[in-house]
Amino acid sequence: MPSHSPLDTTIAVVTPENIAFDYQLAGPFRRMPAYLIDLLVRWAAIVILVVLAFFIGLLINIQTLGPFVIAGMFLTYFVISWFYGTVMETFFNGRTIGKWACGIRVIDVDGRPINGRRAFVRNLLRIVDLFPMAAPGIFVDSDIPPVFIIPTGLVGLIAMMSTKRLQRLGDLAAGTMVIIDQRSWRLPVAKVDDARVPALASFIPADYRISRSMARTLAVYAERRHYLTPARRREVARHLIIPLIDRFEFRSDIDPDLLMYALYYKTFLAESSAELPDLGSLAGYSPLRSSVAEVMVDEATDAEIPIAGVVE
Amino acid sequence: MNVAALLENRRDQWAELELFCDALEKRGKVSASMAANYQGSQGIARFSALYRSACADLALADAYQLPPATVTYLHRLIARSHNQLYRANRFEPARWVDMMFYDAPQQIFADPCVKIASIVFFGLFALAMYMGRNDVLFPGFVEAIIGSAGIEQMEESFEQPLSGSLNHYVPMAGFYIMHNTGIGLRCFVFGLLILPCLYVLSFNAIYLGAAFGYMARPDAVGGDNFFHFVTAHGPFELTAIALAGGAGLRLGVGFFRTCGLMRMESLRESAMRAVPIMAASAALFCMAAFTEGFLSPSPAPYIVKAAWAVLSSGLISFYFVVLGFPRDAFTRTPTANDGQPSPFGFEDPPELTGSGGPNDAA
Repeated sequence: MPSHSPLDTTIAVVTPENIAFDYQLAGPFRRMPAYLIDLLVRWAAIVILVVLAFFIGLLINIQTLGPFVIAGMFLTYFVISWFYGTVMETFFNGRTIGKWACGIRVIDVDGRPINGRRAFVRNLLRIVDLFPMAAPGIFVDSDIPPVFIIPTGLVGLIAMMSTKRLQRLGDLAAGTMVIIDQRSWRLPVAKVDDARVPALASFIPADYRISRSMARTLAVYAERRHYLTPARRREVARHLIIPLIDRFEFRSDIDPDLLMYALYYKTFLAESSAELPDLGSLAGYSPLRSSVAEVMVDEATDAEIPIAGVVE
Repeated sequence: MNVAALLENRRDQWAELELFCDALEKRGKVSASMAANYQGSQGIARFSALYRSACADLALADAYQLPPATVTYLHRLIARSHNQLYRANRFEPARWVDMMFYDAPQQIFADPCVKIASIVFFGLFALAMYMGRNDVLFPGFVEAIIGSAGIEQMEESFEQPLSGSLNHYVPMAGFYIMHNTGIGLRCFVFGLLILPCLYVLSFNAIYLGAAFGYMARPDAVGGDNFFHFVTAHGPFELTAIALAGGAGLRLGVGFFRTCGLMRMESLRESAMRAVPIMAASAALFCMAAFTEGFLSPSPAPYIVKAAWAVLSSGLISFYFVVLGFPRDAFTRTPTANDGQPSPFGFEDPPELTGSGGPNDAA
């Protein structure tokens, strides 16, 4: 664990391979639809099984099988309404149908898979998490049957808000957390297609070592710069680039965005042992201040040149 | 070696790992259409090798100065594969037997919460029964608890002698399992908040006690039929309610009495300890339901039902006491003096101690 953990809904997990990686936690807005889907599935399953049992009893012999069918209905209702989540989560690796539909999964707080006992505890304690109940009869004053008592889930919500891993009471007691199941994800690599970038990168002094934090900053910048307008890019990059321009002894009219990108190219993409890139039409230009001085001596400045003045 | 070349090198293996994850997430196993070396044990070996190398890449991400987006990608890839590699254990029936006949009685015997719940339940039950029976000292007690309508209904249902048929028994057994075990489970769950659990426990104790007391009055209508009905399943059911309350209290007390653990750790620990108690309680509820469904409403002679009640009480006692008695209670615990040799003792002959031979353990 790093000493400073980001203020985020990710949680680091250390695997048996001794690797720490991040899980994204699932909040109430992903978990409630999953719960509602599960509720629907549960009732659908009960209705289907009861109707099926009834028809089988009717087909064979209702006289002798009738009582068994009724007992079977009671038992079906009992088992499905109390143990649906427990069985599903144990057999399907921490997912019920609703969780599968919403792309979330239950795991142990240590990142290990859930086991039967934990699933039992967390699914039973959902009743407490759905407290307190709100009955519409209180407000409308009518004879609404108690079936329409609506759980508000405030206990669970408060517990989720006040714990680091967004756990409700059932999760706390069972030692589990709900994470977002990672789907397939594209590997992003920023490609450099600007010919000026390798050219400018070749002028960065070889003795300049890029620190880790600098490398990270460069990578973030290269990933995000597509979303910014050129003016905004320059504004963002300037803070970092102005001291560097002095250090590299570059001309001060260099585009900060371009230099930032060139640094990125040099850090991540360029072959360190490679010779100078093919400069093409840019051959002969230099961003260096000293060459500008020479040019000024020769009184041959040119404002139209893309990077900087002529070298020789 | 720069990052682009490194990524290019590793990208194939990552893509392969993703292919595995896709197949495992969709069907739980590798599909038959994939290459032969992905099938069976070879496939498992390949998958874990790929997973380990991806882990190694993530571990070295900082040293390689990988871009943050790539690191995020690796985190997600490893999270996906981790979920597929380490899967939930299926239910193991052998473990259940162990839990029911080893963990549960030991836990019940040792747990003070079960004792408290039993005292609360049976104490209030006995008290309410006494108060309900004694109409002179406590007039109106039963009416206040059960209500006049409830008393009438109760008298009505026990007015006729018990008689039932299979058509009646089977559905009722199913209904009792659903209804009573449901109450027990709810009692357990409310234990997390302690007070609702105590409320459910006390309410049931007082209500049942008042009903028993009322029916025990000499002038009660259907009193004989009532006791004819309740005798057989009484021991199972009352014990089951008390156990469910005890399991619930264990859950809630863990939050307050932490025994040196962190609060959340303690809650988790006590929840895991409460599960066997609740399992035992549910088993008792089921047995009570079968008795209540089949034996209790039958016109069998009272002596049979009483014998069953005695037998079931004996079984429960055997379960709690014989199976539950601490296993290490008879082994001598070392006392404070054991560690130090007494100045007045004698030393073992040196050739016998610390010989280091293979027979030393004997």
